[in-house]
Amino acid sequence: MKRYDAVVVGGGHNGLVTAAYLARAGRKTLVLERRPLVGGAAVTEEIFPGFKFSVFSYVVSLLRPEIIRDLELPRHGLQILPLESTVVPLDNGDYLGSWADPDQTRRELARHSPKDAEAAVLFGRLMHHMAMAVRPILSMVPPDPTSMSPGDLKGLLKFGGHFRSLGAERFHALHKLMTMSSADYLDEWFEFDPLKATKSASGIIGTFLGPRSPGTAYVLLHHYMGEIDGAFRAWGFQKGGTGAISETISRAAQALGAEIRTNAAVEQVIVKNGRATGVALASGEEISAPVVVSCLDPRRTFLQLVDPKEMPGEVIEAIGRFKFRGSSGKVNLALSELPDLTCLPGVGPHHRGSISISPGLDYLERAYDDAKYGEFSQHPYMDVIIPSMIDPGMAPPGKHVMSCFVQYAPYNVNGGWTDAKREAFGDSVVNTLARYAPNIKSAIIGRQVLTPDDIERTTGLTEGNIFAGELALHQLFFFRPIPGWANYRTPIKGYWQCGAGTHPGGGVMGASGRLAALEIIKSGAA
Amino acid sequence: MSASFDVAVIGGGVNGMVAAATLAKAGKRVVVLERSDAIGGQGRIGEFAPGFRADPLGHDAGWLPPPVSRELGLSGLERVVPEVTVSVPVPDGRLALSRELSSAAAAIRRFSPKDADRWVGFCTRLAKLSGFLEALYVLPAPDIDSSSLADLLPLLGVARKLRGLGKVDMVELLRTVPMSVQELLDDWFDCDPLKAAIGASGVSNIRQGPRSGGTAFVLLHHHVGAAIGAIRGRGYWKAGPDALNRAVAAAAARFGVTVRLDAEVQHITVKDDRVTGVVLSTGEEITVATVISGADPARTLLGMVDPVWFDPEFLLAVRNIKFRGNTARVLYALDRLPDSLQGMTGVLSLAGTLDQLERSYDDAKYGRCSEFPCVELQLPSLRWEGMAPAGKHVAVAQVHSAPYRLREGAWDVARKSGLEARVTASINHAVPGFGDAVRHVEVLTPVDLEARYG
Repeated sequence: MKRYDAVVVGGGHNGLVTAAYLARAGRKTLVLERRPLVGGAAVTEEIFPGFKFSVFSYVVSLLRPEIIRDLELPRHGLQILPLESTVVPLDNGDYLGSWADPDQTRRELARHSPKDAEAAVLFGRLMHHMAMAVRPILSMVPPDPTSMSPGDLKGLLKFGGHFRSLGAERFHALHKLMTMSSADYLDEWFEFDPLKATKSASGIIGTFLGPRSPGTAYVLLHHYMGEIDGAFRAWGFQKGGTGAISETISRAAQALGAEIRTNAAVEQVIVKNGRATGVALASGEEISAPVVVSCLDPRRTFLQLVDPKEMPGEVIEAIGRFKFRGSSGKVNLALSELPDLTCLPGVGPHHRGSISISPGLDYLERAYDDAKYGEFSQHPYMDVIIPSMIDPGMAPPGKHVMSCFVQYAPYNVNGGWTDAKREAFGDSVVNTLARYAPNIKSAIIGRQVLTPDDIERTTGLTEGNIFAGELALHQLFFFRPIPGWANYRTPIKGYWQCGAGTHPGGGVMGASGRLAALEIIKSGAA
Repeated sequence: MSASFDVAVIGGGVNGMVAAATLAKAGKRVVVLERSDAIGGQGRIGEFAPGFRADPLGHDAGWLPPPVSRELGLSGLERVVPEVTVSVPVPDGRLALSRELSSAAAAIRRFSPKDADRWVGFCTRLAKLSGFLEALYVLPAPDIDSSSLADLLPLLGVARKLRGLGKVDMVELLRTVPMSVQELLDDWFDCDPLKAAIGASGVSNIRQGPRSGGTAFVLLHHHVGAAIGAIRGRGYWKAGPDALNRAVAAAAARFGVTVRLDAEVQHITVKDDRVTGVVLSTGEEITVATVISGADPARTLLGMVDPVWFDPEFLLAVRNIKFRGNTARVLYALDRLPDSLQGMTGVLSLAGTLDQLERSYDDAKYGRCSEFPCVELQLPSLRWEGMAPAGKHVAVAQVHSAPYRLREGAWDVARKSGLEARVTASINHAVPGFGDAVRHVEVLTPVDLEARYG
């Protein structure tokens, strides 16, 4: 039987980051990935011959800069190309654009509302400060609020002190962001409905909430924390697709000495006398290690990889209440030509950015209403990008790939997800696109429709939740995934968690993986 | 021109009267300026049809902080908590939640044995968490900017109380506050009517549906002061709907507060960044160094004070305070009491599922008055003598999801009568014979409530 210092279950990007940091600290580390390729939800696959897709996660901005530095990712192939614009086609045939040049954006907005154009500058500044204020928390191991241990008390005081250091005005703004709905919050700033809609859209991503539901303003802020080369609120696209990021981290980990095995599904974590001692693979092979780290989501980590009788009853109950509620789907299209937007005819810079289907707050709210009662949205919110315009290697010459992130598609759809239902969902996406780009239907060469059910089946993410658990306030920080176990440990000694179901979670960020590795190293467990 | 007061209190609502009495007790000379012809604010009783009286906004006796009662020596405040605090219609009758834990559990057992088993656990948790809020509410809101020790002490007090809850309840509190009431109830129960009976309290008087975050907190808030097991059962004042007003008015009189009725404050005068007094609509000026407003923040800060005295950021923050009235009241004068309402001193909540509440909120969200409004019915005439002529009755319907601002236009006669018809129809559906017993109806939309109560 082979022996390692640490085994990481699951080669998602967080698992790879954990392995790289452990290897960097001199630990003999092995990553076991069930699929033939690493990356989890951050993979690039050639779905149709010549057409490559970032199948699930499709943009990047949240990847922590310290990880990029520590693991020297640029040396291993990290190359992020900026997505510079967002265009929202409006129902009156006009559009609302946001461009790389802030002055151009301001003039564009002034065309719709001079008042909002001014407010947007102040809003951007405030959100920048808020994101800066919250950012240190992303690098903090959550303290246990109920613990009396000096370490936790110190953590709580630091946490409290951090908020006090914000000063009154920003503290109140943060308080609002933590408690309000994104629609209400934006109402305080802006008047132009499509502007509010497109901004609030980032508050609903990956949640089962509508823009008018309190708690969504936080998710808005979460998405403002993205940075590329130190520039905030910039989203980008990895050359070669999101999978190339996973491969980059994988190469970095291997360069540091980690081993990575694909096609190696872990059946169970072996526990002896309340201690993890290794893993058993589906093939029957056993691998021994004093530290086992699960990169899977909390339900799989706590209830499936180990025998539940090893877990205390209240932990099982708490994990049972952890909400996944996948609410988004993905439609990947292979195109013979670019979509021709009615509002911006011809080929233009908008094809190199994001096209947001969010023409109004009511539009988004109605999309949510459908999902509340168990149907996919007839007219969904979509974030559409055309990666082949930024990286021509993604599609054959002259052809294109288009990625549509779609919300809402509830995991628990009425009647369950069938093939017919999946195709109907795909049709509603294409029909909605055709309202704004009528040539889309004839341009489609291939269409891949992914429902939350498909996402769960392929990536293992429970209920297809793209954040490995909803980003709801009661599932953040010291509640993520459950109170008392937000410090990357589990009730089983030597068994750790490092996936996005832990703080801070969500997005191709790597922060969970890094914090878990640092805790493991600090604890002396490996 | 009178200059003999230290403090002027604007508005004779309960909070204004309590402030006035507390200050008078401390030796201040206090005048209360009430714009209408009676004190009591939202707690006033009015006659809406000959011989028929109601307190349209009195939904429950609410929570009276014990220190208020103690410090002011309030008397005549005996609470009655009905045996059945809330009931909801089910296909073959009603699910009646008794304040007695075992009787409620027995009623629930008919629908779900599992839910019945969890009932005591749920009620205990609810009581603990609202009990924490209760302890919190008597502390002044801490000022987080201040670094003075005196301001930090309450914060530490909060932290200590929170940790004093014990590990399990503390975690539950922190977890529950941002949740939606539906998520909270889904964690506990399967039975739809049960969830609807409890959940309606989480969306009471706010423009949110049971799936909206934060509504679990609203549920806790409405249970501050309630006995364990008494769902929405803070009861009513035995001495009458206006018992609290009378008790507070008596205390104010005892401590020498001057109350002036029909005295509408037009504006608050300010000189050199200091309040100098108030001016009434008659032109009369009253000079005082301290003014306390019992009117809402928008009315006070945007309506009564010259904006030049405020920072623009402050004004913006006040303008951003959300009011968004979302409930209407329909008052019914009844010739007789339908059989199924006999003895109903609690609340009859007509929404049988959380989805019904959610759908009616969907309408309000888009600025429509719900086609199927969710209604809660109470019968003041069964609680107190003298609310209706002998043998006759008064019913008050609280209607969820009736937005202040309708997208299609103003609340005109046609829209009001449309609302009335829908409300009556839905009551009649659950209470056969109700429609036939109606002699007179008055509809109070959020706009009417604003006009009446300011």
